[in-house]
Amino acid sequence: MKKVLTTCPYCGTGCALYLLVDDDGRLAGVEPSATHPTSRGRLCVKGWNAHAFVRHPDRLTTPLIRRNGKLRAASWEEALQLIVARLRAIQAAHGVDAAMFLSSAKATNEENYLLMKLARAVFHTNNVDHCARLCHSSTVVGLADTLGSGAMTNSIACIDAADTIFVIGSNTTEQHPLIGARIIEAKARGARLIVADSRRIRLGRLADIHLRQRNGADIPLLNAMMHVILREGLADRAFIAARTEGFAALRAAVAAWTPERAAVLTGVPADEIAAAARLFAGGERAMIFYAMGITQHTHGVDNVRAIADLALLTGNFGRPGTGVNPLRGQNNVQGGCDMGALPNVFTGYQPVADAAVRGKFAAAWGTPQLPDAPGLTATAAMNAAGQGRVKAFFILGENPMLSDPDQGHVRRALEKLDFLVVQDIFPTETSALADVVLPAACYAEKDGTFTSTERRVQRVRQAVAPLGMARADWQILGALAQTAGYGGMCYPDAERIMAEIAALTPLYGGVAYDRIDILGLQWPCPVRQHPGTPILHAGAFSRGRGRFRPVEYQPPPEEPDAEYPFLLTTGRTYFHWHTGTMTRRTHLLDREERGPFVELHPEDAAALGIADRQTVVIATRRGEIAAQARLTGKVAPGLLFVPFHFAEGAANALTLNALDPEAMIPVYKVCAARLRRAP
Amino acid sequence: MKVLTVRQLQAFLAAIAGDYDVRVPVRLPDGTRMLARPAEGPLDIGPLPRKPVEVFFPQQGLVFTAEAAGDIRPPALAAKPLFVLGFTAADLAGLAFTDRFFAAGLPDDLYGNRRQTAAIVGIAGSCGAEGNRLPVAGGNCDLELIVDNGAYGVAAYTETGRALAARMRGEERENFPEGSATDSTAPVTEIRRMLQRASDLLLADRVPEAFWTEMADYCIACTACNLVCPTCTCFGVEDRCWPERTERSRMWDSCQLDGFMREASGHNPLGSEALRTRRRIHHKLAADVVRWGQLGCVACGRCDTACPTGIGMFAVAKEIVARYAEKK
Repeated sequence: MKKVLTTCPYCGTGCALYLLVDDDGRLAGVEPSATHPTSRGRLCVKGWNAHAFVRHPDRLTTPLIRRNGKLRAASWEEALQLIVARLRAIQAAHGVDAAMFLSSAKATNEENYLLMKLARAVFHTNNVDHCARLCHSSTVVGLADTLGSGAMTNSIACIDAADTIFVIGSNTTEQHPLIGARIIEAKARGARLIVADSRRIRLGRLADIHLRQRNGADIPLLNAMMHVILREGLADRAFIAARTEGFAALRAAVAAWTPERAAVLTGVPADEIAAAARLFAGGERAMIFYAMGITQHTHGVDNVRAIADLALLTGNFGRPGTGVNPLRGQNNVQGGCDMGALPNVFTGYQPVADAAVRGKFAAAWGTPQLPDAPGLTATAAMNAAGQGRVKAFFILGENPMLSDPDQGHVRRALEKLDFLVVQDIFPTETSALADVVLPAACYAEKDGTFTSTERRVQRVRQAVAPLGMARADWQILGALAQTAGYGGMCYPDAERIMAEIAALTPLYGGVAYDRIDILGLQWPCPVRQHPGTPILHAGAFSRGRGRFRPVEYQPPPEEPDAEYPFLLTTGRTYFHWHTGTMTRRTHLLDREERGPFVELHPEDAAALGIADRQTVVIATRRGEIAAQARLTGKVAPGLLFVPFHFAEGAANALTLNALDPEAMIPVYKVCAARLRRAP
Repeated sequence: MKVLTVRQLQAFLAAIAGDYDVRVPVRLPDGTRMLARPAEGPLDIGPLPRKPVEVFFPQQGLVFTAEAAGDIRPPALAAKPLFVLGFTAADLAGLAFTDRFFAAGLPDDLYGNRRQTAAIVGIAGSCGAEGNRLPVAGGNCDLELIVDNGAYGVAAYTETGRALAARMRGEERENFPEGSATDSTAPVTEIRRMLQRASDLLLADRVPEAFWTEMADYCIACTACNLVCPTCTCFGVEDRCWPERTERSRMWDSCQLDGFMREASGHNPLGSEALRTRRRIHHKLAADVVRWGQLGCVACGRCDTACPTGIGMFAVAKEIVARYAEKK
């Protein structure tokens, strides 16, 4: 019997839980930490079921190599030798940048660090990225630009201090349930709640004001709110003078954005916009929370800038109960970014273009030199694969066949590759296309750390042994480097990897396992004596002054028209996680949502003669899927919502592969679709 | 009453370890209190966040293994009976409830095999949260430890309890415990009265449907209210198949899930959040009263602690009473 304190493997909230192991080595359940500042004896339904997928019969337990068209069991030695030989051959023939490495926001910091190190030190390419590209790359760019640091400025516990909370583009109770619940608690004790979301989500039902802006019209909404705040003298002039720059440009830019003008684009009545602006600006301590509804647009970075502008305008930084708070999706997507699993930076956002930084890493890693030009993003690499310019993908713990936009394009790109390696815990739609599949240990079978959305670096601990021949990702990557002739990636334990990260990363300089044994540390934590940083930008912004970056409205790249009259938006449900590899193998969660569905307004359904739970076909210019119609007022007329979890009705067969030009994030939240009854 | 020091209690626990698989509340590294073997952490007697009945009915547990050849094997029986210390009076009332459930009809072997041989030890006295006194159960267990000023009074109620008490080395004290915890028929608390009033209102059909819609808006379907409830006994069943064997396991289920009662046709008698929230409260405060003549809520307070949005049983019952009771 064992009780192992670890961190939940699902969302970025970072709840601490105990995995309970019985005398036979079976996982017998989950118990939340009673003392952790986020979980506080509570969990969401995924957390309470976090043990359930670990021993599922579908788990990958042996390396697989494709022979005569079929994946067949192989030894580790064979698999690793084949990977090294093929990657080397492809790089020799087509250049080092013909290989792309995709890391995983589900893997630990230590593993993200090692994949980044493998790509750069062993295979000499900066072509390394991970799924942060698909969720918060806009945040990393937009907040670095305005504030100097692309992360949640405040802590989850700050919700208790806020008197006003503005949630935009985040279905918080479903996607970050314990944060959503804390917002509900704040509302119950008297905080004012403003929600901006086209869907009638739970927080919208409980809010003082629920703005249901048209998808993609966030900038008109935010600009108009700032317009009202300035017009009515509600801006924090002292804060603007003391701590910001670029105010004149912002004032000029939002002058034309009257609520009446915004009403036309957003569909939100002008007086509601004005009321929301007054309510927000009237708060002494106002927090903004946002997520994919803001970031997943071709103007995602501009959306983020507009949010930063609003907080700068009202002086909501550096104090408890304030801040711009992007809710990072995956358990370790913050850490994946922090670890430099990005094409342009090493750990702690140290640029690859900086010769001094490169020199530091080259010396520490014992490599003569490191590549200096930023590599390809995940989305650009997929496009390059489709064009035949990238020839090999090494994918650790991601499933782009379901998670990336325009599945047909992804399939063509992956099929065109000369060599595809997938390292994962379950077979996926992506591993089905692989030449080599490597079986990995899951979170319950290894040690390491995850960094939560509030920048808290927390321990992950082994509760049970890996299944079959599966190994921890960090062990696999070390062995792969060793096979490639590089011995600098073999470690006796994960702790030693973190020591190396800390030595090379000012942001994590004071992070060490003995310090985060019980409760993690929030970065920046530069030295061992540093207590961590619950609130960023307290005295000054990371970049010095906060910079207003006014933005203008750009329409989405594809809008409803006569042929495709619906606006289709995609997302997740509460009970499933991303491409469903874990939650669809968890009995109670799988039972809850069995397959693909589309949320459809009853008026639209009536016009098309569609009944509740009837199978319908949803089509876009990319493809079509069948799904069950769910008639609900949660969506407005003209809007369709499809979750992307289900391979048999893949939302991303429909989505558009159009990218934000700065962050290269796809526009998952808007495309044009049509609907018909299934034959 | 025989009174033990903490050292004497620990010595006793060590002494019975040869005969029993001992489970006691321990403090884990982060301060979470959990039922565990004494070696897993320092003894920390007090109310357990996780319902102690889990030792007989775990969150997830094997039901049987079916070999490909056709043999069906139940899980191996434990080598030693369980000694479980840590049931509050509320937990013991919950245990009586689950005992009745699992014994009814075809007795549940998985529960019964562990339960029938187990020694159950209650806890009472000044070991509640923030030093609050926990009521004395006065029965429903083999023996009860009554905590006062860091000492442990022993009240044995069964043969097993008396045999265990005989193995304890302590001193006889007459006026133990001091103060109000002596009264095992402690007055009905405010909370119990409030639950009873809410129950009466539900049975009198005084709570409108709109109330449940409003409460349900707060429910994020975490299922914790069911999972932590010492009288919730619903479980789901799952089969997992490998080439050489199939394992059937069962897990704590929740009536707060849509799938709990959804029919194969897709129709669901509990097909809305409001209906599910209503059922959760109604089951404990109305249906159980009609069926068993007692509230299904033993007033342990766990669901109010575990509910992320503040709609545990006490909170909802309080709201019912505040809104719908006759104003005096």
